[in-house]
Amino acid sequence: MYDLVIRNGKVVDGSGAPAYSADVAVNGNRIVKIGKITEAARSEVDAAGKVVTPGFIDPHTHFDAQLLWDGCAKPALSHGVTTIVSGNCSLSLAPLKAKHRMKLVGMFNQIEEMPLKAFKEGVVWDWETFSDYITRIRKGLAINVAPLVGHSVIRLWVMNDAAMERTATDAEIAEMQGVLRECLDAGAVGLSTSYVDMDERLQPVPSRYADAREVDALASVLGEYGRVLQIVPEFYDADLTIARLDQLAELSLKHNIPTTFSPLFVNADNLDAVARVMKRVDEQFDRGARVWPQVQTRPIDISFSFAVPSLLFMRMPTWYRIIRFGTPAEIMAAFSDPDNRSKLLQEASALGPLWPTLIFRHANTAANQKYIGQTLEQIAKARGTTPVEVMIDLSLEEELDAHFLSSGMGHNNDKAVGDLLSHPRVHIGASDGGAHILSFSTYGDTGYLFSHFVRDLEAMSLESAVKKITSDTAAIWGIPQRGLLQEGYVADIAVFDAATIERGEEKFVNDVPGDGYRYVRDSHGVDTVIVGGGVAWTAKDGYKDACGEVLPGAVAEKVAA
Amino acid sequence: MPVDNLSRVRKSILPTEGDTWSIVAKRELPELSLDEALAKLQSWNLHVFMRAAGAMAAPGGGNPILPSDVVFIEPPLAT
Ligand SMILES: [Zn+2]
Repeated sequence: MYDLVIRNGKVVDGSGAPAYSADVAVNGNRIVKIGKITEAARSEVDAAGKVVTPGFIDPHTHFDAQLLWDGCAKPALSHGVTTIVSGNCSLSLAPLKAKHRMKLVGMFNQIEEMPLKAFKEGVVWDWETFSDYITRIRKGLAINVAPLVGHSVIRLWVMNDAAMERTATDAEIAEMQGVLRECLDAGAVGLSTSYVDMDERLQPVPSRYADAREVDALASVLGEYGRVLQIVPEFYDADLTIARLDQLAELSLKHNIPTTFSPLFVNADNLDAVARVMKRVDEQFDRGARVWPQVQTRPIDISFSFAVPSLLFMRMPTWYRIIRFGTPAEIMAAFSDPDNRSKLLQEASALGPLWPTLIFRHANTAANQKYIGQTLEQIAKARGTTPVEVMIDLSLEEELDAHFLSSGMGHNNDKAVGDLLSHPRVHIGASDGGAHILSFSTYGDTGYLFSHFVRDLEAMSLESAVKKITSDTAAIWGIPQRGLLQEGYVADIAVFDAATIERGEEKFVNDVPGDGYRYVRDSHGVDTVIVGGGVAWTAKDGYKDACGEVLPGAVAEKVAA
Repeated sequence: MPVDNLSRVRKSILPTEGDTWSIVAKRELPELSLDEALAKLQSWNLHVFMRAAGAMAAPGGGNPILPSDVVFIEPPLAT
């Protein structure tokens, strides 16, 4: 008698090997047999007509806060994702002294576009150390979490305000190394840092005040554990990205650690730049360095309203100053004032081609429902005005709760993106799950990989796509015993219909603490998701009790340096 | 760090403690006059040089080089 048997499915085992028909038996949290299974089981999943794969691993998320109120990281789990990496981009919620809490919330709000109210109402701050944070999220965890610790946060812990002003002294660097060791001992999968982000005052985040010496010292600690370094490079420029990946390569070789940088976008106008970056990636891998570029599957689509400051307006100072620092009343006053309005219109003209294409996607008033789904060009024509003015007017009429969608802003050249995703040295990821919740819905990037790049474009086979987001990811991140359907491996499993899986429609839901909203996508074509041998989600019954773990393990296995 | 088997890419440095435009100019471009060297460095490093202008409330805007910046010491390579 087995605990669980998944019968009649096609096994795509994550190794890249061809699919084959087999049943999969699970006892406890382990896969114990794959083949023809006649014995009974306490619980059964009928996978006829479906594929059975390892659960997906999402290497770039910001679920740090959401895990405090939602141990499933909804809806990621329902899309087949069984492990998430949190704490990317230099930001994690621990270690964190009480006096720095609001500073960190400000950074999450600015950089990851997460609402302040959600932190206020969804978070009970009862931890300071990394280990206490892990204990805290472990209660009620249904998805596995491989948590990075953020460099900016470690700097704040050790240097306080000086973290945002200067390089560290030798003593401070030594103390940071000690803190990082404690985090790795408590289960951190690695360290994240950022070379681009700005805090809530629009000043560089603490990690940007670190010199190369400090990063090297921290990387040496990662080397003691064989853990990962994640960075956000200056991704908008190929020369800068190459300089960063050279820096990473030296750290990887010197300390024998895996490194990864994200994002890397490909557009019609930067094909050469991406080719240069990938050439360098190949050269560095050939030397033995591990420098994994992370590439997302979905195109860049950004929604915004003027109720929350959108990074879309970052490069338009007149707009951004108002929406970043103004109260709703001040923003509306600025939009109504004729002088100010003409300044806004003038600045917007720099992005002339963008505005007519924006789609009006959400309004509260009955009067404006008729425009939903139309472009600003269409609405402007109907109202006898211009697209930018219509955007301002609709925002005033909706008291700022008018939402606009800018779709196809990049990363949408199918051939180029497909080639990049299939590249053996590209790490598929960078979903940003849990962040930018009012700008776009990242959930379903895996469904999109299968629907768009496997099914529609045939840019890669089902088997290689599964490998890319399971065993490849586990190998890059040093997560043992996951990512493959093999006897003895942990039973993190996704069962889905390869003919119908997709990312689902983006929708606006009210499920964020503090009566907040976010964009999500429901899973589509996924049947059952199993975490650690327990059924964690089914299409029929939704989320179930299940037990996720903190990976790669609370007790770090030190590797020989 | 120069390494075998790597193709040539645009040369850059990572600043060390106390680096300012002048210090970098004298160290990396000693064959040029200081003014010339500064002008070149700044034109090659708009991501650093223009940051102060782009940010809205930059303190200490005098030396905008951050300890983590990549500083190019030559123009983009011809492609
Ligand atoms: Zn991120």
